[in-house]
Amino acid sequence: MKTPTRKGSATVLLVIVLLVSLGGIVGLKAATDRVVRQKLPGSSIIYVPSGKFLKYAAFGYRDLAADLIYLWAIQYYSTPTIDDRYDHLDHVFAIINELDPRFQDPYEVGAMIAVDGAREVLTEARDLSHGSGRGAYARSLIEAAFKILDRGEANNPDQYIYTFDAGHIALMTLRDYPLAEKYFALCMKIPGAPEFVERLRANAIFRKGDLKTAWETWFDIYRRAPDERTKKIADNHLYNIKATIDLAALQEAAAKYRDRFGRWPADLQALVGAGFVREVPKDFDGKDYVYDPATGKVRTVINPWRR
Amino acid sequence: MADAIRIENLRKTFRLGFIPRPREILKGITFSVREGETFGYLGPNGAGKTTTIKCLLGLIHPDAGTIEILGRSASSPRSREPLGFLPENPYFYDYLTAREFLAFTADLFGLDRGVKRERIARLLELVGLGRAADLPLRKYSRGMLQRAGLAQALINDPKLVVLDEPLGGMDPLGRKEIRDIIVRFKDEGKTVFFTSHILQDIEMICDRVAIIVGGRIVKEGGLRDLVSEKVLFTEVTVSGISPQAFADLGECVSTRGDRVLLKVYDEALVEAVVSLVHDRKGRLVSLSPRTETLEDIFVDTVTRT
Amino acid sequence: MTIKAIAGITFKEAKRDRILYLLFFFAALGIVASRVLAILTVGDRIKIIKDVGLASISIFGVLMAILIGTGLVYKEIDKKTIYTLLAKPLYRAEFILGKFLGLVLTLLVMTGAMALIFLAIVFAHTGTVEGGLLVAVAYIFLELVLITAVAILFSSFSTPILSSLFALAFYLIGHLSWGLELLIKKMRPGAGRVLVHALYMVLPDLENFNFRTEVVHGLPIPPGIYLSSVLYGVCYTAFLLGLAVLVFRRRDFV
Repeated sequence: MKTPTRKGSATVLLVIVLLVSLGGIVGLKAATDRVVRQKLPGSSIIYVPSGKFLKYAAFGYRDLAADLIYLWAIQYYSTPTIDDRYDHLDHVFAIINELDPRFQDPYEVGAMIAVDGAREVLTEARDLSHGSGRGAYARSLIEAAFKILDRGEANNPDQYIYTFDAGHIALMTLRDYPLAEKYFALCMKIPGAPEFVERLRANAIFRKGDLKTAWETWFDIYRRAPDERTKKIADNHLYNIKATIDLAALQEAAAKYRDRFGRWPADLQALVGAGFVREVPKDFDGKDYVYDPATGKVRTVINPWRR
Repeated sequence: MADAIRIENLRKTFRLGFIPRPREILKGITFSVREGETFGYLGPNGAGKTTTIKCLLGLIHPDAGTIEILGRSASSPRSREPLGFLPENPYFYDYLTAREFLAFTADLFGLDRGVKRERIARLLELVGLGRAADLPLRKYSRGMLQRAGLAQALINDPKLVVLDEPLGGMDPLGRKEIRDIIVRFKDEGKTVFFTSHILQDIEMICDRVAIIVGGRIVKEGGLRDLVSEKVLFTEVTVSGISPQAFADLGECVSTRGDRVLLKVYDEALVEAVVSLVHDRKGRLVSLSPRTETLEDIFVDTVTRT
Repeated sequence: MTIKAIAGITFKEAKRDRILYLLFFFAALGIVASRVLAILTVGDRIKIIKDVGLASISIFGVLMAILIGTGLVYKEIDKKTIYTLLAKPLYRAEFILGKFLGLVLTLLVMTGAMALIFLAIVFAHTGTVEGGLLVAVAYIFLELVLITAVAILFSSFSTPILSSLFALAFYLIGHLSWGLELLIKKMRPGAGRVLVHALYMVLPDLENFNFRTEVVHGLPIPPGIYLSSVLYGVCYTAFLLGLAVLVFRRRDFV
């Protein structure tokens, strides 16, 4: 007979060791998980000179490399405790784009991260015009956003979204209306662009202050409107443009009147009598503008957008 | 006298191959080796000799049966404390010298420094490796490796020495040396258990033998008991007389020149042959009785099984 | 002690393996090359030296552990030196532990040598030696100990090539634990999630030994993790060696 106790006891000891260590593994894994660490796997990506270099190193798994770097980038940029994480934003996304130019998400998301980052750096978009250090940094991030979107458009001329996003940024964040107009104009031409892009362009032209071209553009939209709704929108805009022009002229004339006579005119007709305007214009609907002689303010009788 | 080795009903089946096909190698081995005796373990190739030894050494786990070494179960490593083993084709760490290897082996037994040094020197002399002791083992010939192997088997001054084919691959001089060493063990009171194909050597030095065929012990016993002193036939070489004269006395095996070699089966007829030679004025060149040898037993047993 | 004796000859044997020196050469090359790379980079140069240096020590250390470790037990069986060894009065566990400790000792020496070169380069560049770097190297070594245990486990029943692949897979899995964590967060509750969660707890998380990022970027290391990581490493090593002994004990050496 084998000596069962001797061999058996060794096996029991071994099993105990295995179970205890297994318990230790699970327990300690839970313990280490509880500790909050900043995980930045792969942050050395910023040392890669360019995507061209990486393309060849990826052994043909370029798309996969692009995916992995993109996934990493999302984790990286959503970790708020990393300082200066926006420093190489364009570089990182340039690598992803270079590896897989047809990978659409990174262009949009990269631009979005850049804009978010700019907002994070400042509290108000207005500060972008200042030359402060933070302002300059935020501006550089917005520039990065445009760079990324331009790259997206260059690599994917059939996709309207990049010029669209760029126009949007220019319009809302940067308030650079000529730039917005330029992007929306480009966007319009791309097949598949939504039909309202030309209206965005028209709006940008209006905002930039070129009221004559704005009128012509909106009029053209009005003429070509395929449905009642679009017609109505164009109509409202035309009303608004006319009102803007008219109200500006009236307001200027009233100010001149005040300068000359030391008080606001009693009514708008007085301006004609005094020779500051040839006639009192009516609004686009043929209604009169509303004048308050106490304050000298002229306004429309109706909200242009609620006609 | 305790048993140096006691094996009872040892069984082992191997399951080899991708789709395991069981092969029963040991089918219930039972035998004992008494302390102090020199025991030979014989069998044809594939009979299970090496498997038995490996079970003894704990290299293979038996499926069933008992193995005890000097009273301790072979499944415990402690049973190997009084044991020394020389494998069939010794392979050692070829980057070590013989001396370093023996030192390592001594460390495995926990020998302390003084004992270690003295014993290594003595063993190297004993096996004849004194001069080559500091060459790396990879430079050793087969015979030298064998000697080194013997030295490492003796490092712990074992009570039981197990040797697997210790005499294979050595020249006749080497074989004599090893035989002498084994006989020395007997004088020192050590128990020796070994396997060999060279049956003449077994006959010379063993007290008892066991023959294993097809996983079973088919013969076991003292050498003198198994091998009778019976004369099988007598070989007589005669010259100067023509073979026909011996026609009804013995079998003419061969002739060369005027020499005739006869095989005479009946002992009584040998006398008749001698007289005939004397009468015919021939010359009796040689007369040798051939007794039963171990080889005869072995071949007989194996072919019968 | 038998374990000490076996560790001793294992160390002697590993020392002679040319692979060791080849890998050490490449590691040294990598560390020194970081100095050159630093010139190409934009921004903080010392970061890239530390980054590449620590990465070299880590990668080449792992390769050493795997390439040598997977041959350790297999060679003994293949060359049949194991017969004379196991015929001695030692437990099979002692054999496994001896081999393990011998290789760990070898890796300790190699890691120390690589670390010395690394710290010398950093010192030449900054004039100081940060304690953080030593901590990072120490935990790299702990990771190597674990990888050694894996290599030995596979070496006890598999050929060197397969063992190397398995050990490499173990290493990769160990560094992708965060992926499983993300997956669990996105899965819906159910049997699948329980299974993945169980896997997540049991599969190795080698990032526990990775302080390279913190040290290079100067981020703080929460103190609680030092001890937890060490204990985790010890437990996992014990578990792997236990498995190796379990497998090895039952083996028949035909």
